[in-house]
Order: sequence, then C-alpha cells, then structure tokens
Amino acid sequence: MAEKRKYRKRYCKYCEAKVDFMDYKDVGALRFSLSERYKIMPRRLTGNCKRHQDMISVVIKRARAAALVPYTVTRKTVVTAPFENLK
Amino acid sequence: MRNYENLVIVKPTFTAEEIQASIKAVEEVITSNGGEIAATNAMGMRKLAYPIDKNERGYYHVIYYTVAPSSIAEIERRFRINEDLLRFVTIKYDTNREVTAWKQLVEKANKSAEPKATEETPATEEAAAE
Repeated sequence: MAEKRKYRKRYCKYCEAKVDFMDYKDVGALRFSLSERYKIMPRRLTGNCKRHQDMISVVIKRARAAALVPYTVTRKTVVTAPFENLK
Repeated sequence: MRNYENLVIVKPTFTAEEIQASIKAVEEVITSNGGEIAATNAMGMRKLAYPIDKNERGYYHVIYYTVAPSSIAEIERRFRINEDLLRFVTIKYDTNREVTAWKQLVEKANKSAEPKATEETPATEEAAAE
C-alpha cells in the first residue's frame, strides 16, 4: 500500500495544445506519435488521450497512403532522413 | 455540395510541362464533374517514403474543392484510369470541425500562392522603371 508513483503523471500533449484537427500533410507534427520504425506509438507510452489517439491514428494512416510516411522500416528498406524534403 | 481534398502524385519521369499538363487534366476531371476548386497547393517534387511502381520520387499536388458527394465515385474512377498518377488520396471534410479546418487550409494555400504572384508583379514593374 501507499506505493510511491514511479513515473510522473502523463498528460496528453494534444489536449494541452488544444488541437482540434490534424493535417496528414504536416509530417513533422506526426513525428511525436511515431516510433523509430514508424510504428504508431501506443497510448500507454505517449500519454495521449483516447480522442487524440484516434485522430492521430487516422491521420498517420492517411499519410502512409500518400507515401509521406513509410508503412514499415526494415533493415533492407532503411529510409535516411525521410522527413527532410527532397531538394 | 461537400468539401473534399485530393492529393495526387504525378510520375517523376515527366518534364515540367508534362507535369503541369497532367495536373491540368486532373483539375479538368474535377471541374467537368461539377466541382469548384477552392485552392491548389503544389508541394513539388518529393522523395516518396516507399517506392511506388519502382519510382523513388513523385510530384505532389493538392487540390481543395467542393463537389456533390455523388460525383466522387466518377472522379475516382477517372483517376484510376489516368496512368500519369502514381497515387491519389481523397479526403472528405464532413463535420463542422473538419469544415472549419478545410477553410483554414484553403486560406493557407491561397495565401502561400498569392505572395508569389504579388512578388512577381512588383519585380517586373521595378525592372520596367529602371
């Protein structure tokens, strides 16, 4: 009983910023909810609320369809700096 | 009438004029089906996150428009036939929140398009004055 909280309280970053709508073309903003291998980060790690997690998952899937974000990153298909625009 | 957004990726093997021509053809498809184009945003040549039909790059172009929901099927069918396009993504903006976001996106796209036009005209005037 009375075990101390090991981690600080998680909060939703998007709620704090009062995000109402996410644009799938804004790839830099999706970075936060993507892992190194471009998987969608789970809610338990990012601390997103359910509402914003639902929004971000839809937006990331749209960005994947538009080839803005890769579906998978394996050793064979390593993307070097994919967020940088092609010059 | 409903608000939509279409992102099209044109083949990178084309020259600049061919790309512009195919984009015009895409816009023509939308307008001929009763759509009104509110704004366009050329994102330009970008590297794709993954190869599509062995292409590593693609020319991104975004079109914001309003059209009756019934004609979206026809527009998408025409896009599928079009071989200039690597990929297209159609997004529907339906709820109030999404519609306001759509209006903001249109404003943003128009603003980013306008300064270029205004910059160009003064420059030519100055050149003429000199």
